[in-house]
Amino acid sequence: MIADSRGPLLNRRRVLLAAAAAPLAVACTTPPPPPPPPDPLAELVVQARADAALATAAGATEVAAARTEHAKLLQAEVDRARPSTPSASAAPSSTPPEQPPGGATPEQVVEALTAARQKGTDLMPTVPVHRAGLLGSVVAGCASLLEAMS
Amino acid sequence: MSQPSSTPPTGKPTGDAIQAVQDALATEHAAVWTYGLVSAFLKEQADQTAAGANSHRARRDATERILRDTNAEPVPPAPAYLPPAPVTDAASSIAALVAVEIDGCTAWRGVLDRTEDQDLRRSALDALTSCAVRATRWRKTGGLTPTSLALPGTAVG
Repeated sequence: MIADSRGPLLNRRRVLLAAAAAPLAVACTTPPPPPPPPDPLAELVVQARADAALATAAGATEVAAARTEHAKLLQAEVDRARPSTPSASAAPSSTPPEQPPGGATPEQVVEALTAARQKGTDLMPTVPVHRAGLLGSVVAGCASLLEAMS
Repeated sequence: MSQPSSTPPTGKPTGDAIQAVQDALATEHAAVWTYGLVSAFLKEQADQTAAGANSHRARRDATERILRDTNAEPVPPAPAYLPPAPVTDAASSIAALVAVEIDGCTAWRGVLDRTEDQDLRRSALDALTSCAVRATRWRKTGGLTPTSLALPGTAVG
């Protein structure tokens, strides 16, 4: 009778111990601050700034101005969505404007605008409604720039 | 009894989105009418005019179908529309076409601002982009600057 009851008792103690220790183990192994996922619009900001630099180097001033405007508005939305992370908002604005690549051609600008238009179109199904309008205007803006260059 | 409009059971556009689509349909009616009005002045650009008119007719029909699918009654066309400036020659015709295309951009962006329905989003983006491209093409044809629209559908563009 005694032997019969000790087995289950020990097992229960082990189980209780294990249960009590489990959250501790989880707490110790979890990385402290889970970094927020990158804002998908941040990538579009980088792309728009690079296009503006490329267009400037190619002498396409209308494209440069439009893509600079795109970068500004997209960055404003990125900052609005995540105002608490200083690195996200401060870093890009303090970065010096990208060095215009030497000898850029209109063909390269067309290629970049085509890529930007596609990237925005691909993102459209994933964005919340308050970003869809801005994204749509950026995509249509790229299409308009392509038409102007054609 | 109809479903309460605040809870879309099928993901179909409701409320604000439907009103935005109706506004977009109204601009498509205006565009079809305007392309008809100016065609006599744009003999040299007959192909471009016909292509624009056909695109807007197709968009109008598709938009009416979207509305009927949500049990909304599509807004009818007005008997006539007032261009921003009198249409008397090729230049004023092109200006009127640029104006209706820009109105289209604004209306279709308004749809994007109000719906999460993926099919409707796709249509709205396609319509916004098409209007922006045609506005640009007409500006180019008319020698107007800037040729491009930076942000079609907004005051900036």
